[in-house]
Amino acid sequence: MGWLFVCLAAVSEMVGVIGLKLYSQNKTVRNGAIYIGGLGAAFACLYASFNYLQVSVAYSVWIGMGTAGAVLVNMIFFGESKNIARIVSLVAIIIGVTGLKSLS
Amino acid sequence: MNKSWIYVILTCLFELIWVFGFNTAETWWQWGLVIVFILFDFYTLPKACDTIPTGTVYAIFAGVGTIGTALMDVFLFDGNFSVEKVLFMTLLIAGIIGLKLADNKVIDKNMEGTF
Repeated sequence: MGWLFVCLAAVSEMVGVIGLKLYSQNKTVRNGAIYIGGLGAAFACLYASFNYLQVSVAYSVWIGMGTAGAVLVNMIFFGESKNIARIVSLVAIIIGVTGLKSLS
Repeated sequence: MNKSWIYVILTCLFELIWVFGFNTAETWWQWGLVIVFILFDFYTLPKACDTIPTGTVYAIFAGVGTIGTALMDVFLFDGNFSVEKVLFMTLLIAGIIGLKLADNKVIDKNMEGTF
């Protein structure tokens, strides 16, 4: 049950980041709602998962999946740069974020 | 410096303030301030994405938030420092700097095409 909430939280975060992208391009109420709603739902699901899992474990898995997903979504659907320096840097950030969260 | 980078710095700064508030707020006006900073944060985040790729902005946003909360934990809430923590922080910072340099290169290339 806890992992289901973590997965839902990661998916909501990707929705929120798609909203963030759309809203930064075109400031409509609909795009704003996807952006704020997605990230809001992500926090709510993450918070719910804390009832079943250790906070540091839930947090690190969520932030790793969410950040990686956010980057991939932008590369695949919004044509962001796929150059190797960028990908290596992003992998470093994702490992760093996940590792650091799992320790605290 | 590209104006969007100022928004990246601002959005990370607001994030750190509200995360700190989240851990320490007790009275209603303190919670009010937390909400105000969350609103500032959500206002500056899309502004940062105007000229910088959203994936970059979001990864930096998550990275700075994580480093900031880890440091707060150590210095303000009596958490412990460890070699592993320093290692992951170093990796994170290297990634953030690398990302900034990588995106600059792409922007330079795009600019070349226009002349």
